[in-house]
Amino acid sequence: VSRRRIWTLVRREVRATFRDPFTVSILITVPIVALLAFSFVISSEVHGLRLAVLDGDRSPESRRLIADIGATGWFVPEPTATRGEIERALRGGRLRVGLVVPADFSRRLREGRAPEVQLLYDGAEPVLAGNAEGALRAVVAASGAQLVRHSAPRRGVQVTTGVLFNPRLAGTPYMVAGTFGFVLSFLTTLITAVTIVGERLSGTFDQLQVTPATSLEILLGKLLPLGAIFAVDVVLMMLVAGALFGVWPAGNALFFIAVSSFYVLVSLSLGLIFSATSNTAAEAVEKTVLFSIPLVQLSGFAFPVRNMPTAVQWLSELFPATHYIRVSRGIYLRGEGPIDLFPELVMLAIFGLVLLLLARRTLEARA
Amino acid sequence: MIGWIRRRLSNVLAVAYREALVLRHDKGFLASVLVQPVTMLLLFGFALSYTPANVPWAVLDRSDTTASRRLIEDVRTTGYFLPPTPVYGYAQGRALLERGDALALLVIPQDFRRDIAAGRPQVQLLVDGSDPITAARVLGYVGQVAAHFDTRRVDGAERIARTAAVDARPRFWFNSTLRDRDFFMAIMAGMLLTNLCLSISALNIVGERESGTFEQTLSLPVSTLEIVLGKLLPLVGVSYALLTVAVLGAGLMFGIWPKGSWIALGLATLPFVLASMAVGVFVSSMARTTAQAVFISVFFILPSFVLSGVMFPYELMPPAIRALGFVFPLRWYQIALRRIIARGAGLEDVLGPCGALLVIFGVLLLGIRWRLKPRLA
Repeated sequence: VSRRRIWTLVRREVRATFRDPFTVSILITVPIVALLAFSFVISSEVHGLRLAVLDGDRSPESRRLIADIGATGWFVPEPTATRGEIERALRGGRLRVGLVVPADFSRRLREGRAPEVQLLYDGAEPVLAGNAEGALRAVVAASGAQLVRHSAPRRGVQVTTGVLFNPRLAGTPYMVAGTFGFVLSFLTTLITAVTIVGERLSGTFDQLQVTPATSLEILLGKLLPLGAIFAVDVVLMMLVAGALFGVWPAGNALFFIAVSSFYVLVSLSLGLIFSATSNTAAEAVEKTVLFSIPLVQLSGFAFPVRNMPTAVQWLSELFPATHYIRVSRGIYLRGEGPIDLFPELVMLAIFGLVLLLLARRTLEARA
Repeated sequence: MIGWIRRRLSNVLAVAYREALVLRHDKGFLASVLVQPVTMLLLFGFALSYTPANVPWAVLDRSDTTASRRLIEDVRTTGYFLPPTPVYGYAQGRALLERGDALALLVIPQDFRRDIAAGRPQVQLLVDGSDPITAARVLGYVGQVAAHFDTRRVDGAERIARTAAVDARPRFWFNSTLRDRDFFMAIMAGMLLTNLCLSISALNIVGERESGTFEQTLSLPVSTLEIVLGKLLPLVGVSYALLTVAVLGAGLMFGIWPKGSWIALGLATLPFVLASMAVGVFVSSMARTTAQAVFISVFFILPSFVLSGVMFPYELMPPAIRALGFVFPLRWYQIALRRIIARGAGLEDVLGPCGALLVIFGVLLLGIRWRLKPRLA
């Protein structure tokens, strides 16, 4: 391996990348757009959800209950006249939640018997319905306890809760940490696949192979500059997430950048393999996209791996992205260090080694 | 007037015929049409779910009585949890949480049984908030188990249990067990059609421009708009085939059939398919190379999956993000699909979304005419 030849190849690669304004704009906009799009999409909170209310009692007590529900800001009560109206609103998807207060609500309260209220949810949106159920049940219980003057001790066990790492259960940090995994897996693979196939089509790749450079040097000459560019992307994303959403890594930022840069090399090698085995740019892209559907779905980016059937869990362990996303969440959310993350780091190293060797082999086979 | 329409129509049909011939020989296209529905049905039917499962947790049982063991057993039998890891100190439990080896730590105090006798039993639950959706659900499950824990069954604590002040009876319509599979199957057609319409139509025109056949088509006595419409027509046929596969797949594999009108389903699909393909053609008209077209369309598909509400409920997003999602055709189509498939709505319930899709289609057509015209000169 000659250091001078690698340096020449690196300079050539950097120049080729920055000459194409489209690639440069993709490299800057995609990570930022991905951060903006993904950061807000999950939430465990309900806010300002419209609630159809059928008050069959119209007593001070029932109005008090409805006012208490509205006062939380989680729900906006909308009075309705009949059950049929609620049913139509739920079916048409105009409303997601309904509350029916029976006519004997206040009478039963005065008699010391627990009145029954009915909560109706749109089960077609399970996540929304589940979140709304938790919130609505809590308000009804709290408001009900105040309505009963002779407040009796409740059946059951009181639970005092504490939440570590993310006390408000905000969705943003979780998604920000995952987005690194998404961008560094998908964009890297796609960009390498497309640029290298483009070079092969225009013949510049063949020109490289007749130079005295060895396949390892060509490989490093490709990977190192692209790796450096994506390392800059990592820092850019960290700054955007920190400045816009106030999400900074809980752990060591330098450790995070180091692991991420190594992971970039892993997925760049994957892109090299895809492109070396494709004849057209469209084919390379098709391979990358087909590969990235399970990548997004099975890597734990959107759906926790834990929830999957055992066989699928094993499958997802075979994606380097699964391990990187675990590492990035560990550092970003729980502030973990190299010792806590040791098994995942070892896995990433193994993937890196295997994929680099494979990439070199495919390049040699092409020569 | 009629002659003019007939002439236009025959032009469009001629282009459509040529296009169908080309598509039939495209192996990549055939593969993606056949492979994708199967993969997606399997993934979303069997593998992916937001409902927590196999949750690792730890218990610090300082009471170590039948009552405390029964509470632990009650939590475990909800089915969401793995067998608990017993810990013998607070620090040990916290360490498990910090390493991510446990998602929750249940602490039962030493006086648990005496507290039950006194009528004020309390336990503590610590959860790892780094995965907020799972954490919120775990809090909910344990809270419900604890609230329904029957303290009367504990011997030596003869108490008359009193129920909550207000008895709230929840009912979940359309999907009573809140199964995520139903949530995904309802919009399966939307995801498949987005992939198909965008990727095919985005690649199509750029690819032809690269190989020079687009210029040849332009030299024919047909207008740009007729070419575009003729190109889209065979894809509409493929789209309906894909819709059938998605609906039959969900029905035959998982027993999830549309509850509402099949006619409404068919009618609502047309404006969506047209709008999505128009997006693809517009992307194609902006890109100079195939690679660029692919990049632009992939990075249109992803946000439309994420922001439209097919994967995450859009009502829980902040208002600005929620509003942004309305520019994606998939947002409107998923609203229509959930109404028809999951809730059993009829045609009159989906007129709004269909109208919105037609507006998007119209705006894009104007954009396409404007983008493709200068190139004729």
